[in-house]
Amino acid sequence: MPNVSFESRVSRLELRPETSNPKPETRINDLRERFRPQREWAEGRGLLLILAHFLTGAGAGAWIFSMLFGFTPGLVAGFFLVVFGALAHFFFLGRPERFWRMLTGFGSSWISRGLVGMSLFMAAAFVYLLLWFFAARQTSLEQIFFALSLLGALWVVVYKGFVWASSKGIPLWNTPLVPALYISYALRGGAAVLMVLGSLVTQHAALGPLEPLKLWLAVSTAVLVLIYLEVMRGSGMTALRSVDLMLFGRVALPFYLGAVLVGLVIPIAIGGLAYARTVPPELLGLLGLLSLLGDLSIIYCIAKAGLYRPLPA
Amino acid sequence: MRYGMVIDLKRCIGCTGCSVVCKAENATPPGVLWLRVIKHESGKYPQVRRISIPLQCMHCAEPPCLEVCPTGATFQHPNGIVDIDADKCVGCRYCMMACPYDQRFFNAEMRYYFQERPTPFEQVGYQRHQEGVVSKCNFCLPRLERGLEPACVANCMTKARTFGDLDNPVSEVSKLVRDRGGYQLYPELGTNPSIYYLPP
Repeated sequence: MPNVSFESRVSRLELRPETSNPKPETRINDLRERFRPQREWAEGRGLLLILAHFLTGAGAGAWIFSMLFGFTPGLVAGFFLVVFGALAHFFFLGRPERFWRMLTGFGSSWISRGLVGMSLFMAAAFVYLLLWFFAARQTSLEQIFFALSLLGALWVVVYKGFVWASSKGIPLWNTPLVPALYISYALRGGAAVLMVLGSLVTQHAALGPLEPLKLWLAVSTAVLVLIYLEVMRGSGMTALRSVDLMLFGRVALPFYLGAVLVGLVIPIAIGGLAYARTVPPELLGLLGLLSLLGDLSIIYCIAKAGLYRPLPA
Repeated sequence: MRYGMVIDLKRCIGCTGCSVVCKAENATPPGVLWLRVIKHESGKYPQVRRISIPLQCMHCAEPPCLEVCPTGATFQHPNGIVDIDADKCVGCRYCMMACPYDQRFFNAEMRYYFQERPTPFEQVGYQRHQEGVVSKCNFCLPRLERGLEPACVANCMTKARTFGDLDNPVSEVSKLVRDRGGYQLYPELGTNPSIYYLPP
């Protein structure tokens, strides 16, 4: 064994470059805390999971609204957003080469159910797009894949919230309000993707009914966020501490700047303006873009503010 | 049969010997602590009390980690021990979020304690660990299969730990729980942990 001093060994351990996940030293320090933060789903490669949930939610939402309005660019964008989200999921895994094993836990695990839903959506949506672009429309085959892709998209919109809500270790997430919040954000994200696309293509006239819907989704989401925070403040000391982290602590900046200002206040203001008078499509595109940034921020904030229950009880 | 452990907080002196011997027995990498001892202070001066509380996987009878595992990597032996099949784990870390006791560890990459290369001890010990998967205490299952007690029990210098069958009403652990008022952590969550603490 080479003769290396203790100091140099320690400094070498501490000076190792930050890897893709929280360092062991950080984990040890966290274990000394009374309220230990979860980092695996919010830092390092954990950011990929947040990105994945954002992309799949917005993509599936975009697919649903595109089918509703017959908006072709939205169908394509929705499909690719879900595909990119699935890839982010894949690279988040510690052992991605074993991902197929996740199909086996359908009976009890929401991650497994999500993978089935995403696979169903991607397969059905892919075939549907092929039929849409290259084969005759309004056939019975197209109708079947229309229904299957819609089912898959609804599945993707719904399952994510249950992944977080079934995490018993983190009281901030372990509430039935989280699925409602995630469904709301996924639909809002889908509408936002369409507004961004609508400002870029000439088909935006087809999206006329989306403007009041988008405003309604933004207002209802803001109300839901308020209810969520207020309910969690009264759901035990760990959840209260998590809410405090979001409102006054280390997660306050992304919460106020990203989730509240960019994601709710400005979109509601622009949406209200668009409801009262005609606004250029570019402004609606900006509304959609800001709304999407806000969606990403709130997913990040909820993940980052997650704390474990204190031990001892 | 349901293996369980009773930890007498009156006897525990917080030497962290169990934590050290767990590392030695299982050769866990840096940042992975299957067993740790926390210090807890209560009361106000001059009536202050400081106790040491060893924490490890609770081997719950109703483990939330098992329920959420998408691959079946987390499973329960017939003797109640909750274990992980590392070959099945995909490293999604869902079980870490589900465990109310925060007793699971993700080994993102194999690191060594003292140098860039593993020590001879680590070379042997790390054969039992994989990168990119979650790991945790398994009550020293290989030792149990050899008829030995878990390393933390066998090496506790104050005999604060007792290991045995919770389903057997005349076992030492059952008697201690019954006679000394053994309690579980967060019983309200319905996990029914197999580790009981005796009040200090």
